[in-house]
Amino acid sequence: MSPKLLGERIKRKEDPRLIQGRSHYVDDIQLCEMVYLSFVRSPYAHAKIKSIQAEAARKMPGVLAIYAGKGLEGRLGLIPCAAGLEGLKVPDHPCLALGRVRYVGEPVAVVVANGRYQAADAAAKVEVDYDPLPAVTDMDKAVAGSPLVHEQFGDNIAFVAKLEGGDWKAVEAEPSVKVIKQRLINQRLAPLSMETRGVVASYSPGEDTLTVWSSTQIPHLLKTQLAVMTGVDEARVRVIAPEVGGAFGSKLNVYAEEGVACFVSRQLGKPVKWIETRRENLLATIHGRDQIDDLEIYFQPDGKVVGLKCHILADLGAYHQLLTPAIPTLTALMILGCYNIPAVWVETTGVFTNKMSTDAYRGAGRPEATYVIERVMDMVARELNLDPVDVRLKNFPPPGKDVVLATGVSYDTANYQKTLKKVLTLSGYKKLRGEQARLRKKGKYLGIGLSTYVEICAMGPSSRMPAGGWESGTVRVEPTGKVTVLSGTSPHGQGEETSFAQIVAEELGVPYDDVTVYHGDTNQVPMGIGTFGSRTTAVGGTAIYHAARRIKKKMARLASHKLGAKPGEIVFRDGKVESQDGSKSMKFGDVVGEAYFAKQLPPGVEPGLVENYVFEPPNYTYPFGAHVAVVEVDSETGEVSLRNYFAVDDCGRILNPMLVDGQIHGGLAQGIGQALWEEHVYDENGQLLTGTLMDCAAPRAHQFCWFETANTETRTPVNPLGVKGVGEAGTIGSTPAMVNAVLDALQPFGVRHMDMPLKPEKIWRIVTRGASETA
Amino acid sequence: MRIEGSRQLAAPRETVFQRLMDPQSLADALPGCEKLELQPDGSYHTTLKVGIGSIKGIYQGRIEIVDPVPPESFRMKVEGKGAGGFLKGEGRVSLAAQNAETLISYSGEAQIGGMMASVGQRMMRVAAQQIAHQFFEAFARHLALTLPSTSLPEPDDSRRRNSS
Amino acid sequence: MIPESFEYHAPQSLAEAVGLAAQLGEDAKLMAGGHSLLPMMKLRLASPRHLIDLRRLSDLRYIREADGVIEIGALTTHFQIESSELLQKNCPLLPETAREIGDVQVRNLGTLGGSLAHADPAADWPPAILALDAEIKAVSPQGERWITGRDFFVELMTTALRPGEILTMIRVPILPPRAGDAYLKLRQPASGFAVVGAAVRLALNESGHVESAAIGVTGVGPKAYRATATERELAGKSLTGRRLAEAAAHAADGMEANSDLFASAEYRRHLAAVYVRRALQCALERAGA
Ligand SMILES: Cc1cc2nc3c(=O)[nH]c(=O)nc-3n(C[C@H](O)[C@H](O)[C@H](O)COP(=O)(O)OP(=O)(O)OC[C@H]3O[C@@H](n4cnc5c(N)ncnc54)[C@H](O)[C@@H]3O)c2cc1C
Repeated sequence: MSPKLLGERIKRKEDPRLIQGRSHYVDDIQLCEMVYLSFVRSPYAHAKIKSIQAEAARKMPGVLAIYAGKGLEGRLGLIPCAAGLEGLKVPDHPCLALGRVRYVGEPVAVVVANGRYQAADAAAKVEVDYDPLPAVTDMDKAVAGSPLVHEQFGDNIAFVAKLEGGDWKAVEAEPSVKVIKQRLINQRLAPLSMETRGVVASYSPGEDTLTVWSSTQIPHLLKTQLAVMTGVDEARVRVIAPEVGGAFGSKLNVYAEEGVACFVSRQLGKPVKWIETRRENLLATIHGRDQIDDLEIYFQPDGKVVGLKCHILADLGAYHQLLTPAIPTLTALMILGCYNIPAVWVETTGVFTNKMSTDAYRGAGRPEATYVIERVMDMVARELNLDPVDVRLKNFPPPGKDVVLATGVSYDTANYQKTLKKVLTLSGYKKLRGEQARLRKKGKYLGIGLSTYVEICAMGPSSRMPAGGWESGTVRVEPTGKVTVLSGTSPHGQGEETSFAQIVAEELGVPYDDVTVYHGDTNQVPMGIGTFGSRTTAVGGTAIYHAARRIKKKMARLASHKLGAKPGEIVFRDGKVESQDGSKSMKFGDVVGEAYFAKQLPPGVEPGLVENYVFEPPNYTYPFGAHVAVVEVDSETGEVSLRNYFAVDDCGRILNPMLVDGQIHGGLAQGIGQALWEEHVYDENGQLLTGTLMDCAAPRAHQFCWFETANTETRTPVNPLGVKGVGEAGTIGSTPAMVNAVLDALQPFGVRHMDMPLKPEKIWRIVTRGASETA
Repeated sequence: MRIEGSRQLAAPRETVFQRLMDPQSLADALPGCEKLELQPDGSYHTTLKVGIGSIKGIYQGRIEIVDPVPPESFRMKVEGKGAGGFLKGEGRVSLAAQNAETLISYSGEAQIGGMMASVGQRMMRVAAQQIAHQFFEAFARHLALTLPSTSLPEPDDSRRRNSS
Repeated sequence: MIPESFEYHAPQSLAEAVGLAAQLGEDAKLMAGGHSLLPMMKLRLASPRHLIDLRRLSDLRYIREADGVIEIGALTTHFQIESSELLQKNCPLLPETAREIGDVQVRNLGTLGGSLAHADPAADWPPAILALDAEIKAVSPQGERWITGRDFFVELMTTALRPGEILTMIRVPILPPRAGDAYLKLRQPASGFAVVGAAVRLALNESGHVESAAIGVTGVGPKAYRATATERELAGKSLTGRRLAEAAAHAADGMEANSDLFASAEYRRHLAAVYVRRALQCALERAGA
């Protein structure tokens, strides 16, 4: 028998080259005559550009050219926004500011020089004269309308979207219903991928081709957009995503610097490189979250939540990046979580402010939703003095039943009771509660926090996606019998070279090492969408699975022709293609030979062995899980220490548990990081205060306890692999579990809610205030 | 960002006020002042080398004295920019006579932008206070050195050197 | 993150380095581990025209015992201190402090001398140097001089070193009998530096009363300081939990506390009291009380 591949902890194909530093990221690309870019960025959050003096800079050694917004006008297109919401205001978003800057870090001019250092030196010499204008950074003030980020719109409201469902009259008529009102703030975060952004653009005047290496999650979409922006015929544009060192959604975008690099390369006929510095990364790569959620929770004395109203204020920043306005709409969609709450009302207001754009950051709109609903469950439990477990159980839909929620969403398959039960067992929940009670008597504060999340992923049906939600997969068996797999997705650390090879090797019955997976090069992979929204395996993997099945079908036909068997009775195993009983058998390689040497092909069969499949997912998938965080709060200083973390996640079928663990661990770190440490802060003048890693906290391994993870496997019917997706689950589930845990620890101090990050000083203030109140 | 402080100066209020309005005295007292030029509109253009420890930058700026009420008070507007970003501030300086001496108090709001703001938040307040403090120390020394007085304050120059 | 251009010098001897530093004056910066200086240069907050790299002066990298004191060369890395058995035995406060600095990479390159010369208000070394009454040796063409820890830190990122002076050695006393050390800090989650840190050396006399208590505090104000009010409260006393708490409550007396995004002045003062008390408690236990 072939060794079983799917479901096994197979080590990552990617790791040896990555760990040894023997692969290639954008900055490793070296081309002959390459020139370098350095951007001049605005130090003001809002200002008119009075003049730009570049004389001194132009005279600096090695400087080839300097461009500002005017020089690009009409020659390089605007930065695209793909989100199509009704009534959305879309401000012009030029690659270099035109006349006005609207956030600190906005690119104003670009210097091209022979060397990277020369470019940086000259950029420092470009003198921009600004006329500062008042800036708006606070969403409430922005909604109130002044100052205006974009004067032409007359207000700062980019869109208002409503989502309503259920019978509100019934809810409001019910006398026993209680209401809690609460504002939750979901702070702004920096995605902080290890590799910053970077681009190499190389226009070849003779061939009229533009080749772009970019640290991106969406090479194919980027190709289309760069063709539109630069005016180069799309058939002559090639985008390559080489090794990409993390992205977390921040590279699911089309950025000014990519456009400018292409433009400059075309102007000068030389390859151009730009590598983002960490400082630029914090300033001018999209940010995540930044929402205010004003809640009204309607619930009954038994803990049943009967209605949820939420005003969402979403800080979009100054301009729309690719999906900026779409992100908060996912919050509205998922706001009921995995609870059967009969009435919902959500109004989402997208707000312009003088800050960098927000956009997709790991979870993208869903962590905000989960944070809201999981805090709701705990607030209700607290209000009624019930165990948060019981409140959740009360509100879950019955297992195995298809429920259409008041939001109109219907989830695929789920068993929330099962994951919850499993995590309670895993964590020893009952015992923990006992320990908590004992410790409290001694003045020690243990907190136990729960979150039972559901998320939406495997993005998604094309009807619901701005630019198509399908994915392509190609399988080609080479004449030597080795297998090449091409995927339109663009993994950047997740490990799909491994899981895709597992899928194909298992299907074809060939050794795992014989399968090589490629992605990221638009000249190699015929079509694709990319990697985001936990879609790569569920959508991209399925496409590959189908392509492999097509290969099998063809090979079965060839083999049966040769062996005189029926195609239907052919199986693939142990490097052989044979009849079920093994009596008629050919080596895999010999069947491949039949296809390529093409001496005796059955009639109508084309030579060669290459199959493509484009998978259109019929629905999203909805992974879910239950987490328990256990924290200790030092009541004297407010410090929180994470003692245990238990995560039971159901991401559908698991193809490689090690990859799932990896995604969960990383996700937990980011989610816990948001709860405890991270915040990307602007002051009231729009200055970014957390502009280096001295102030912008990135979670680090030593800050965590060991994560205890487990899974349940509820397969989805949405794709034949039964996989749901796991890229964002850890982040989505963990933030509320942590906050719930800390607030649970602080229960004796009578505090209902605290906003993130739960910095020790905030806790200390609550504890001392609470203590003095009870004293 | 709020900056405030006060300093006792061993000179009569009128003298202190007059010196503060005098470009030469200011240029002497401003630490790191490389240029201070009176403009036709009554403001000053200045080039200052300011900073803390290793972090020193050259700033081009404008200082304007407004609403002078001799010898009691004036307001001061400061604007500057350099490689480290920009600074904008406005404050009030008031002088109280205390026998033959003067208690000078200052308070103001400063807005810092660009690089400095985004990398220096944890030290910015302390640094700004320190620079204000340095100015008044230097001014006190300037007064002591240029005024015929019996009670020269000890210049503590030897300790106020930068290592790094 | 690209520095301005500079001239690089790599002197082979201390004499050469001293000469260069004197000759180049204000235009030059000395570089030890580079872990404070280079980040500032990359941000162009510091743009020295000359960089004098001290790392070839391997004779400034040592930890040795001499005449009842420990001598540490200025270029000794945090990691060398952390892993020194000599220090573990004779001055455990130093390895304990070293372990609290940054991460392994930082500790492998950053140096004791560099950290002291840089005088970051939240750095971990200054409070230890203060609590130990360490002495610092500085060399210039005029010769050498010794500066006490207390005189060394002048104000925010400003020390008593004169331009061009090179810090060469730190001298600390050996842990006396019936004495205990401790360093405790609250880490800023982003930088790892101390929001507040307290270093304590506590020595008891034969009857178990405080012979001397020396407390260095970092992170609270513009520079590290000795919590003298607390020290005074403790002198000659026998220590109870209550007395420790009462004394520690004065840990930030007279200090103008810093406030930033992470912690207000009020909270820093509170932390100073808590951490000083806890460090005292810990040192007391280690002193064998
Ligand atoms: C990621 C990171 C995390 C860190 N975390 C911490 C932390 O948690 N706690 C902490 O305390 N520190 C921390 N640091 C700072 C670290 O300890 C530095 O190494 C230290 O502050 C400076 O030492 P250095 O040898 O690198 O000095 P350098 O950066 O080389 O020099 C610093 C300054 O001192 C001067 N100088 C250096 N040597 C001498 C000398 N012999 N004589 C005179 N002047 C000299 C230089 O001219 C320069 O001005 C961290 C640094 C980094 C990069």
